[in-house]
Amino acid sequence: MKGIDLFTEFSQKAGTKIDPRDIKIDDTTLRDGEQTAGVVFANEEKIQIAKMLDKIGVHQIEAGIPTMGGEEKEAIKKIASLGLGCSILGWNRAVKSDIDASVECGVDAVAISISSSDIHIEQKLKKSREWVLESVRECVDYAKGYNLYVSVNAEDSSRSDMEFLLSFARTARDAGADRLRYCDTLGILDPFETFIRVKTIIDIIGIDIEMHTHNDFGMAIANAIAGIKAGATYVNTTVNGLGERAGNAAFEEFVMALKYIEGIDMGFDTKYLRSLSEYVAGASNRVLPTWKPIVGGNLFVYESESKASGVLINPGTYELFSNKDVGLERKIILGKYSGVNTVIYKLDTLGIKISRNDAEELAEIIRNKSVSLKRALFDSEIIETYKSYKNKKVAKTTAKKGGK
Amino acid sequence: MAIAKSEKYVNIIDTTLRNGEQTAGVVFSKHEKIRIAGMLAEIGIPEIEIGTPALGAFEREAIKEILNEDFDAKLFVYCEAEPGHLEYAVECGAKNVIINISTSDIHIKEKYKKNRTWVIDKLRQAIKAARKNGLNFIISAEDATRTDLEFLLKLISISEKKGAYRFRICDTVSRLDPFRTFLNISTITSAVKIPIEVYNHNDFGMATANGMAGIRGGASSLVVSVGGLGEGTGNAAMEEIVMALKYLENIELGIDTSKFREIAEYVARSSSRAIPVWKAIVGTNVFAHESGIHADGVIKNPKNYEVFNPKEVGLTRQLVVGKHSGSHTILHKFREFNIDLTDKEATDLLAMSREMSIDLKRTLFDKELVYIYKEYVKKNKNKKGQPEATDAE
Repeated sequence: MKGIDLFTEFSQKAGTKIDPRDIKIDDTTLRDGEQTAGVVFANEEKIQIAKMLDKIGVHQIEAGIPTMGGEEKEAIKKIASLGLGCSILGWNRAVKSDIDASVECGVDAVAISISSSDIHIEQKLKKSREWVLESVRECVDYAKGYNLYVSVNAEDSSRSDMEFLLSFARTARDAGADRLRYCDTLGILDPFETFIRVKTIIDIIGIDIEMHTHNDFGMAIANAIAGIKAGATYVNTTVNGLGERAGNAAFEEFVMALKYIEGIDMGFDTKYLRSLSEYVAGASNRVLPTWKPIVGGNLFVYESESKASGVLINPGTYELFSNKDVGLERKIILGKYSGVNTVIYKLDTLGIKISRNDAEELAEIIRNKSVSLKRALFDSEIIETYKSYKNKKVAKTTAKKGGK
Repeated sequence: MAIAKSEKYVNIIDTTLRNGEQTAGVVFSKHEKIRIAGMLAEIGIPEIEIGTPALGAFEREAIKEILNEDFDAKLFVYCEAEPGHLEYAVECGAKNVIINISTSDIHIKEKYKKNRTWVIDKLRQAIKAARKNGLNFIISAEDATRTDLEFLLKLISISEKKGAYRFRICDTVSRLDPFRTFLNISTITSAVKIPIEVYNHNDFGMATANGMAGIRGGASSLVVSVGGLGEGTGNAAMEEIVMALKYLENIELGIDTSKFREIAEYVARSSSRAIPVWKAIVGTNVFAHESGIHADGVIKNPKNYEVFNPKEVGLTRQLVVGKHSGSHTILHKFREFNIDLTDKEATDLLAMSREMSIDLKRTLFDKELVYIYKEYVKKNKNKKGQPEATDAE
């Protein structure tokens, strides 16, 4: 079974610790993110996003497509002239005039993109493999003439014949390219396939690899991480995973997964993650789902008694990192799944002390109320519910006393 | 609708109605629960978790009604390892139960304030209660991925000896990546005979990938929910797992996927959550193409940028016109309106559309394209200073 061979491969690799300084993020929110159907950033927004990414510590920003001209070109020029600490990259087809447009923008790096799969070469480009290799050779050479950092993007890498992809990578390397972008354009790889393929290219060609993954089957992050495990050194991310169709590998998820699952801390200032995500969500006219990994508003909101009571004793029971690490708040809400511990805690935060027995009864009232309202209760409703419970109780005791 | 299953089969158990509802703020009505269970059974989901009997009378009533519906799926209820919880399950008329207990030291010490021996005793008592009532039971190890492996294997072995139907490994805090999941699950499956089930959370965006890695490691069942609805970041999404099994692993579960969008919409409405347009498999943007390169590729052959046909999941393909469009999209789009453009017209209209899209900060509606066209025709007429009879051709 393929998995077993791979495991042997992986466990040999497991001993070697990856140095955080070897991993670099090339964020493409402004290029692939904006290429999403329906999304258009204003130039002002692009500049703001670039500044935020730079501040948080991203290594390279893919700022746009210079050859589109007009406003797009203006924005890239402006971003390249901001004097940011990170590298600024322009995206190009494998066409010399595209590269000229990038040069005019003053970027220090270019991506030269061309398809490497037969289906794309035959059906989309209507050309041959030889033509593709020749274009790579010519364009890399041309860009290198301007002394630019050059990434060659093999579009649809994951559906490319491996033999041809190796020739493609070799051609790029020999022409002087600095890295090869491995594009899982349709998001069809799983992490194990990703690992084997990326490792093969690195072992045979020895060129720097950048991972460009898509989330069509929900595996963008896992595949990016698998690429890193196989020796890739760059990852192409977008904030919130913005990108065509189901999107790309989300910047915030990749950074946190690398830190908390792989133990590789790239040193990003993660407390700005939530505000960055909010800004990009707003600029792209998309709501940030409350359950969005890492930055969703509901991630540290607890309702169910079993989880909430664990977290109240020790957050480590259910959290690998703290809400403060990503700029979020922790909160307990009361609803259908609430129990005695959460009721006592919640009322305490609202300035009300309650006995365990009373909390037990109140929890049942709250559960029933939540079922009939089909939602959790607001704080004001909790206070009201408590008051009416108290009043009824007092009335009952008085009635009993009166009866005696 | 009968779809042939592949030889290699993977079980999926949907927990939309249990862990999905346990999401902070989400409450399904009884009516919605019955409808969701019915929809899942109808498309061929083999097993469904329908609720937590110990929650209260309202929940037991919903469970009873779902059990009475006679759906074509194995229906499970969820219990903590407390004999009292199992009594509630019996009261509902449940035949299949999940018995959950935390197994990691951090949970045992901090949450239960007990020790490992106590966990073993609790498990044995719960199993005894389940057996006494003739229940079919799955044992679920909460926080299993932070549990000492030797202790976990001991619990699995007890469960196996006592006739558990399956054993569930919960990655409660999303601690694993696919490689570690594979290592973890393959270690367990090679040591025990009982079928192993994997339960994932999406805290780092890897729930689906981890589920698939579990299958690779020899697990025979996955816990899923519609749209990934679940506590925190949610669980592995049912639609992603089914399609990933089919297209990445060639495992056909025989599920009618053409209802995926419809079910996702129903669950989204019932849980008061919108389906993000970019949601993998069922988001409306998944088959929307704007950029010149992609749209052009799709027009020539959808397989250039699509793995499966949108109809397969109940969606439709859309070509949208905006800032990144190319002239092929314009030509194609106007052909949909029965207008054949010349190359020159397409180039001009593309420039106008792009400009408008940048100005409006969004893509254009079909109607807007028609307006742009009318404006263009009018402008040209004025330029030429005479009515242009051939324009209509």
